[in-house]
Amino acid sequence: MGQVKATLDKTIKEFLRQKTILFWTIAWPILWVLIGSFSFVKNVPSEVVSYTRGAIAISMSAFALMTAGMANLPGNIAQDRERGLLSKLMSMPINPWRDFVGRILALLAFSCLAAFLVTLVGFVCGARFSYSFVGLLQSIGFLLLISLASAGIGMLIGTFVKNVHGAIMSGVGIAVVTAAISGVMTPYSYLPLLLQQFASVYPISSSSSFITFLLVGEEYAGYNPLSAGQTTLTILSSLLLFFGGLVAYSRFCWRKE
Amino acid sequence: MDAISVEKVTKKYGDNEVLRGVDLKIAEGEFYALMGPNGSGKTTLASIIVSVRSPSSGKIEIYGKKPENAKELIGYIPQENFSSPILTGKENLMYFAGLLGYSKNAAEEIVNELLNKIGLSEDANKRVSNYSGGMRKRLEIATALFPGVKILILDEPTTGLDPSARRRFLGLIQELRKEMTTVLLITHIGADAELASKVGLIDEGKIIAEDEPEGLKKASGLKDVINIETSIKSEKVAKMLSKFSEKKMVMETDVGYRVYCEEVEKAIPEIVRSLDVIGCKATKIETEKPSLEDVFFKLTEKMVREVS
Repeated sequence: MGQVKATLDKTIKEFLRQKTILFWTIAWPILWVLIGSFSFVKNVPSEVVSYTRGAIAISMSAFALMTAGMANLPGNIAQDRERGLLSKLMSMPINPWRDFVGRILALLAFSCLAAFLVTLVGFVCGARFSYSFVGLLQSIGFLLLISLASAGIGMLIGTFVKNVHGAIMSGVGIAVVTAAISGVMTPYSYLPLLLQQFASVYPISSSSSFITFLLVGEEYAGYNPLSAGQTTLTILSSLLLFFGGLVAYSRFCWRKE
Repeated sequence: MDAISVEKVTKKYGDNEVLRGVDLKIAEGEFYALMGPNGSGKTTLASIIVSVRSPSSGKIEIYGKKPENAKELIGYIPQENFSSPILTGKENLMYFAGLLGYSKNAAEEIVNELLNKIGLSEDANKRVSNYSGGMRKRLEIATALFPGVKILILDEPTTGLDPSARRRFLGLIQELRKEMTTVLLITHIGADAELASKVGLIDEGKIIAEDEPEGLKKASGLKDVINIETSIKSEKVAKMLSKFSEKKMVMETDVGYRVYCEEVEKAIPEIVRSLDVIGCKATKIETEKPSLEDVFFKLTEKMVREVS
């Protein structure tokens, strides 16, 4: 049993046993899938309803990944620091990178579970997708990018917001606001030009648009993001956020005073 | 070879010098208590020894090695309750076993052994949130008892524990001593420090005295102490009581005062009369042998613990 597995086991158990985490990451997006699937489809032609529900399920899966990375991860880091666990770990013969990898793997596993459950509820509510095998694989890649970008933001929050409650609320706040203004929770085509520009730069909404485009279609994504420039920008900005968070976490959380 | 050797260690945060050239040597198997009030630098010193903080200057060695190269020899228990409350006691220990690289089977075996040692076998599968403060502290001690650990460093471990949990906890530490583990206990509680084979008193970042507990008491020159519980506590009462102490030494306690005087027998009736005169009643009065907290007070005119 290595350090990575020990941290992974501990972190995932902590994620699965905290009601606040389960609510914000799984119950809240599912609630919106239910509301969206049955409340916003009046006068919508029946052949469109099932794809609209598909687009809603994708948006809410993206939101679940956002809260997992932006609220659960920093909450977990802040909690470990506040209760002295990070000091204890620093005194032990432990490699900080293995701790980090364990945390990220736990986050990815938990995010997969959350996205799966949200999509499953979407299916049960009548969501339909039209996709190819390649499109599905590409979508999984973009889901991974959403997780990495969210984890990057989460690590920045967890590093600089010392208080557990503050870290969780900051993460939830950033997730909700950015999801609302970047087209994750609202249709891209409804956004004003400035926010549309933000949505195409913000890696999370951009990845979400890619997935919607690949699994449901352009009319639901609001635009065709599938260009070399947009793909490169999304990948690079996701990795930039992730590595930015990683540098902050390793430099400031594990730094000797 | 010394288990812990600290030479001329200083630590500055901006202009604030928290440690001012601390020298400390702890022999293998020794139970050393470092006692001082809040802000005296004792936790900073402990965290430098366990390489959580770096010193501004000075040299630290653990069995002749730099602290960062001797982490496997140290079991550090920070002041906070670091165990995860939503995991069970066993899951917490399995986590630490995993961090230390034990295989699943070896971890199971050693964790069961540790749970037995600290008396938590029956509660192993309960979540830590259901543990009492004493049980949680014992669990945390177990995280520092994996094979290979030679030095146990405990930072204020009994703070917040009720008297029976505290006794049980200190009993466990005494048990561990039999296994020749070197113990460094950081505390502000004189009664806890009394259990050590050697005590260092730290104030304003410097060790001001160091000896066996009895040696410190003897060197302080303190004789019996009058412990008085009074109906009221005020500056007037303290001032009056100070007249009975040669060096005007009176320490305020939770329920009254401690008066340090030469001729205790003679002073007691006079104290009772004088308190009566100023309208204060002595509800309880007794003589006691001086404690390590009294020694600290004698040396610094400061109390180790704040009066609530």
